[in-house]
Amino acid sequence: MTEKLDNIKNAALASVAEASTTAQLAAIRVKYLGKSGEISLIMRDMANVPKEERPALGKLVNEAKGEVETALESKFAALEEEEKSARLKAEAIDITLPVTPANGGLHPLTLVRRQLIDIFAGMGFSVAEGPEIESDLYNFQLLNIPKDHPSRDMQDTFYVNDNFVLRTQTSAMQARIMTKTQPPIRVVIPGKVYRSDDDASHSPIFNQFEGLAVDEHITMGDLQGCLTTFAKKIFSEDTKIRLRPSYFPFTEPSVEVDVTCSMCHGKGCRVCKGTGWVEILGAGIVNPAVLEMCGIDSKKYSGFAFGFGIDRIAMIKYGIPNIKLLYENDMRFLAQFN
Amino acid sequence: MLAPISWLKDYVDINVSPETLAKKLVAIGFEVEDIIYQNRRAEKVVTGKIINVEKHPNADRLRVTKIDVGDRVINVVTNVPVVGGENIAVALDGATLADGSKITRGELRGVLSEGMLCGLEELGITTDDVDGQTAGDIVRFEDGVQLGVNALDALGVNDVILDVAVTANRPDCNSIYKLAKEVAVALGTSCREPHINYKVASRDVKNLYDFAGSKTSELLKSVQVKNSELCPRYMAAGVKNIRIEPSSRLIKSRLRAVGIRPINNIVDITNYVLMEIGQPMHAFDRRDLEGQAIVVRNAEEGETIVSLDGKLNKLSGDMLVICDAVKPVAVAGIMGGLNSGIKSDTQAIVFEAAKFARDNVRRTSRALGLRSDSSARFEKGIDFASQRLGMERALTMVYESGAGDILEGMYDVKVDYRPQREIRFTTSKIRDILGCAVPKARLIDILSKLGIAVSEEGGTLVAHVGEDREDIAGVNDLAEEFIRVYGYRHIKPTLFKYATLTEGGVPDNIKAVDKIKDTLAACGLREAVTYSFTSPAFASKLRLAEDDVRRISVKLVNPIGEALSVMRTNLTHSMLETLAYNVTHFVGAASLFEVARVYLPKALPLEELPVEREKLAIGMYGDGADYFRIKGALESVLAALNVRGERYVRSSEPFLHPGRSADVIIDGKKAGYIGEVHPDVAKDYGVDNFRLYVAEVYVDMIAGENALKYRTYSPFTRFPIVERDLAVVVNEEVFAADMLDAVRSAKAANLVDFRVFDTYRSEQIGEGKKSVALRFYFANLDRTLLDSEVNAAMDKLLSALKRKVGAKIR
Repeated sequence: MTEKLDNIKNAALASVAEASTTAQLAAIRVKYLGKSGEISLIMRDMANVPKEERPALGKLVNEAKGEVETALESKFAALEEEEKSARLKAEAIDITLPVTPANGGLHPLTLVRRQLIDIFAGMGFSVAEGPEIESDLYNFQLLNIPKDHPSRDMQDTFYVNDNFVLRTQTSAMQARIMTKTQPPIRVVIPGKVYRSDDDASHSPIFNQFEGLAVDEHITMGDLQGCLTTFAKKIFSEDTKIRLRPSYFPFTEPSVEVDVTCSMCHGKGCRVCKGTGWVEILGAGIVNPAVLEMCGIDSKKYSGFAFGFGIDRIAMIKYGIPNIKLLYENDMRFLAQFN
Repeated sequence: MLAPISWLKDYVDINVSPETLAKKLVAIGFEVEDIIYQNRRAEKVVTGKIINVEKHPNADRLRVTKIDVGDRVINVVTNVPVVGGENIAVALDGATLADGSKITRGELRGVLSEGMLCGLEELGITTDDVDGQTAGDIVRFEDGVQLGVNALDALGVNDVILDVAVTANRPDCNSIYKLAKEVAVALGTSCREPHINYKVASRDVKNLYDFAGSKTSELLKSVQVKNSELCPRYMAAGVKNIRIEPSSRLIKSRLRAVGIRPINNIVDITNYVLMEIGQPMHAFDRRDLEGQAIVVRNAEEGETIVSLDGKLNKLSGDMLVICDAVKPVAVAGIMGGLNSGIKSDTQAIVFEAAKFARDNVRRTSRALGLRSDSSARFEKGIDFASQRLGMERALTMVYESGAGDILEGMYDVKVDYRPQREIRFTTSKIRDILGCAVPKARLIDILSKLGIAVSEEGGTLVAHVGEDREDIAGVNDLAEEFIRVYGYRHIKPTLFKYATLTEGGVPDNIKAVDKIKDTLAACGLREAVTYSFTSPAFASKLRLAEDDVRRISVKLVNPIGEALSVMRTNLTHSMLETLAYNVTHFVGAASLFEVARVYLPKALPLEELPVEREKLAIGMYGDGADYFRIKGALESVLAALNVRGERYVRSSEPFLHPGRSADVIIDGKKAGYIGEVHPDVAKDYGVDNFRLYVAEVYVDMIAGENALKYRTYSPFTRFPIVERDLAVVVNEEVFAADMLDAVRSAKAANLVDFRVFDTYRSEQIGEGKKSVALRFYFANLDRTLLDSEVNAAMDKLLSALKRKVGAKIR
């Protein structure tokens, strides 16, 4: 009996040692330790063993059971670990495989427009928009540009009829605001404007950003301070501005404003044609005649106004060589900006 | 305005380089757009001396010359019959001729040629520019000319011309004289006055022609101005014994330098004065002035005149004409009539120097399509001072060139005008405008240099502004005159030093649009910006019905072209064009959106401003694009804007796929549409290899009053969630939305979420039927749910589905 038990035990331990999968181990467990397993059957044979031998044999059977159990468990743990490593190894992927990012994004004109609004909102400006199909009155006459005045030649106007035009300048909204609101006024007006100019460097549609501040004691110094802040924030902290005398019918004095080239920081490069300066906007002190026409007392109040092209800022900032790219909407262009 | 520096030097001493001069002019408000060097019209064309001429060994008509070009001798093969010893102009290897062509060395019939002999044309000049040369022949120089120097320099064609952009407020500076005054201010020097020197002919002048007087009044009996508003001043002076001949070389070359073709001495004088003084002049042939009279009047409706350029002009009553006693002889300020122009045998003339109203000249010129240097100048505005100056300058040129005998006296019909006006101001007022200290002495000095005398009365300054400075209306203008010379660098930046603090910020409608754009960008879409105007063909391309309101669009009078001639009434057309652009440019997939306005006229023709409404358009094609992706993008936007209860109903938009499109209904109203583009329409836009998807909605209908509302916290359960699935069979035409409505209507207890997760069709289920699987989630905030509770809720849901959409358990 003892001998039989030893044989069974040894056979069990041998097959445990041979087993290479956890499934085999499970089968071995059933074969030897299951309810009708070989070791369990020996226990059933106990009836045939003399009574006095039974305790010793029982002990031996239990020891054999324990031994097989221990062998099974340790082998099982080893095999499980092996199988897990194998699975993890099999699950390895090419972690460099490229994926197409699902990023969307905003148009560079929107990106610049938002930056501009942020900058000017920080200086106490509110934001307004106005009609793009505009009356001659607001687009021209109230801005000191009478009908048949030569200064109309400064802008190539799209006409709808004698009284309506596509606004040539966001300044049209200046007059709308000033006829409705009394100072203090501090507002910026972003929006589309239209000029019948269509060549390599002009688009018949572009976006302007207009600023207007009317209050007591507004000076050319304030205009300069405001524009310096804007130039530093939109380009870089080391940006400087320069004012040159110019002419606009609705401002007096009028200036053109240059900023130091953001590409070369004023050293001179291809973008600024070697001058170190880039012309970006027109500005000035609101012509008292315009204030009066809009119903604001020019003796009490003064103001400044400025206007520039958002497109131009975007082109400078993002290095876009041709304005037409902004309106082509080629995905390969649009996907470049974030 | 083209200003030859040599001409400016007649008025002001210039001792700086053209580049420095340009910088100084820019600093005081005159932008110099270009500096044109006449001697750079042709490059590397130099003087040379022919030292040897031989017959070409292989060609009868060619000669082989040796030319001394100063530092060396070169070989040039030419067909020009030159002889040894001649001084000529030769283009060297690498030269650029006036027409842009390049000269390089090469073999001509086997003999090396290192250059080309040049004529005037190759140098970009004519016999008007130089003396002693022959058109069509090569350029020849006198003996002793320095060899190897720029041929244009050797010919004396070496002026430097500034191209100055004169702003609209300074029309007077469209003249050499007035620009020279600004140059003087820029250089801190003084400007000379125009040279006036003439004598009238004495009574005993011989060779009288068709009249026997020596006074203008005998040549021309009367000058009558019938509309002094349109013609505030008209001066006329007579010259007899005219000899028509070419002008001097100086006059011809200066005219050519500023882009005017020399004609003859008299016409050239009128043009020269126009450029120098800024006063348009005209010369009539006295023989053609019937009745020896000039009448300035409005044209009669339908009256005609053939202008000098040969064009027949039909006039209207608001146009001004210069007439003799019988007929129009000029369109005032624009162009003379062919009937009274200067001819080669003209013997007596009447010079006109007038002031015409600029807006009338402008309108007439536009209406007739007739333009001239004169009309261009009048349109900008002419002051009262320049008629006499112009006339006397013209007479000086006649006198000094001996072109004719000047008659005594001249007509000067003019309205009363104030030659000077006064502006009272203080230095502190100017300081308040500029924000910088204003030294009084410097202020007075600058203004007086600009021709504005300043006197002092008590504590107030008085500026005396001449009539020629119409642009100076008040103290702001004086501030500008001061600072443009004083320098903007004196102003230090301040940030609203004395002004009120204001709140600032972005209005809600702009914030809502920002939210829309951010949401779509987060969904992986890219923003597009397209033109607001489009082709009227959009209506037929989109297959819009004849009575579709979107056909009513605002049209431009002067569009860039038909393709950009109407203001858009929808964004879909532009979006389809944009998608098609990307398809045809080999872009495999695109997902785009645009927020822009449409322009909806209330009535046509436009009598009030049209309604401009913002719309959102979404478009996509290619990998991953389908109806549900675009619907997902739209729904993300609606969710971001807190839109609730939107519905999708089958759309009948003619440009959409009838089975794959929906109208988007918000609050019971159609806010827009969404769907796959009809294949026929896609094809019309040039796309037949992709399915296109488009959506368009009104921004104001999706961004309602809740658009920017933030949601407050709602609690969620900490207990287990029970998930139950249910598959039911319904008729094919039952929409998912109907089933979800049925679920909602059941008001099942503890139902926290539900969705359609599968739709399945098979033969077994039957034709016209589908199996729809729904998943329900039950939960309670306070406890774990009992099976029996969930079962009861499921029973309720099933019976609602049976009742509302005829659902059957499979």
